[in-house]
Amino acid sequence: MSVLVEMFRNLLTMPSTILYPGERVPIPDKFRGRIAVSDEICIGCSKCSLVCSVQCISMVDSPREIRFKDKILLRKKKPAVKLFKCIRCGLCERHCPTGAIYLKNELSDSGTDKEVIAA
Amino acid sequence: MPEVTVPIGPHHPALKEPVNFKVIADGEKIVRLELDLSYSHRGIEKAAEQRDFIRVLPLLERVCGICSHSHSTVFVKGIEEIMQVEIPPRAQYIRTIIAELERMHSHLLWLGVAAHEIGFNTLFMWTWRDRELVQDTLEEMSGNRVHYGMNEVGGVRCDLAPHQVSAALERLPFLEERIHQYTDMVNDQQTMLLRFKGVGKLSREEVLNYGAVGPTARASGVDYDVRRDDPYLAYADVPWNVVTDTNGDVYGRTCVRIGELHESVNIVRYCLENIPEGPVRINAPKIAPDGEIMSRYEAPRGELVHFIRTNGTNKVERIDIRTPTLANWTSVAMCLVNKNLADIPVIVAAIDPCLSCTSRITLINTPGGKPGIITFDELRKRRQISDKGRGLP
Repeated sequence: MSVLVEMFRNLLTMPSTILYPGERVPIPDKFRGRIAVSDEICIGCSKCSLVCSVQCISMVDSPREIRFKDKILLRKKKPAVKLFKCIRCGLCERHCPTGAIYLKNELSDSGTDKEVIAA
Repeated sequence: MPEVTVPIGPHHPALKEPVNFKVIADGEKIVRLELDLSYSHRGIEKAAEQRDFIRVLPLLERVCGICSHSHSTVFVKGIEEIMQVEIPPRAQYIRTIIAELERMHSHLLWLGVAAHEIGFNTLFMWTWRDRELVQDTLEEMSGNRVHYGMNEVGGVRCDLAPHQVSAALERLPFLEERIHQYTDMVNDQQTMLLRFKGVGKLSREEVLNYGAVGPTARASGVDYDVRRDDPYLAYADVPWNVVTDTNGDVYGRTCVRIGELHESVNIVRYCLENIPEGPVRINAPKIAPDGEIMSRYEAPRGELVHFIRTNGTNKVERIDIRTPTLANWTSVAMCLVNKNLADIPVIVAAIDPCLSCTSRITLINTPGGKPGIITFDELRKRRQISDKGRGLP
């Protein structure tokens, strides 16, 4: 009996699945997607590189003057992330003191090419 | 009739994970079952010894794809106890909510798999459709459907926003209605009753002898649940009941899991409505003092144990993981004896096996029978020879 009830209910409702890629599922705000680095506010402290659980973040030379806590700093390095290796655990975002490295809430292009580096 | 050995696995189209069964059968009846585990050893325990408490958590979450929160929670619970750190009540409640949502999605997944094993694919589709609601809630709260990454030593990584709490509360009545319908379905449907009742029966004494845990033990009348008997997180504050059954067969295990789904809905609702205000984490020390702990947790499949030893550094000296599937395997081998060959899938599925989580050792050169230690370089050389033999670069 319970199966019949469910069957009739399903006849009256829309399918549970969506027609991807025409339709897209809504992505929540907290979604951990593709990693991104904001060059303007990164102070080059290397914390992200130290906490990365898969060691996909390396520090590359990128000298630049940065304003941090009302001081002008001379930054020497900035992070470069191998997207193919990144597991999007979010540890870098959690430990970044300025919010320069973060995970965008984007579903696609989150790292299928070995050569792609986010910097 | 002579006994026949039927080998199944380790690589077989019907198996989801690698395991080797050697079924010794007399006609259609199973005389004996020999099980070989550990075909997917990943060296997680050794890898965990080389990472600090921040970097080890994403690794431990990946012990299991279904109970990822269980593994990280049992670990941080142990480390916090060694450090003598008390986490804020709000963090306790958030961990409890995620844990119970995880239990709900695991049990709904299991119900679908069990239905699939008996050929009732309609129920498989329905449970997995409803499981998506739980997955969506988890994704909204944590940012990921499977590996939530909520835990850190000293609390949780992110807070729950009011709109997330209300969205989760809105979904619960629908889920509750669906779970009621599954309860009716399991009791009404002849398809399920015929394949579940009296199959894979285990008495209370057998369960205690073989050391089965979780829903497998509770279905045989063993009234034991770590959440009640050794309370952790917010379970001591929440009103809930341990679900037990006396049937002892696959039907009993199904009833226990569906009963636990009802309890989980109630626990999540209570926690969401009564979540205390305040911080979600404290600054925990980076280094743990010397210590040893046996940390226990009621994962969806049963009691999960992490043995942790620390040595005054920011890494663990030794971690040993005992997953519930390992505790339940002996009971499977025993309750298959004198059953029909056709009952193997449903009896094995009834413990909700997770084989890759269970793999802790790898046996190399078993025909030689000589125990010994193989170095990493030696392993690498063997791998190179094996790759060359297969024409790989």
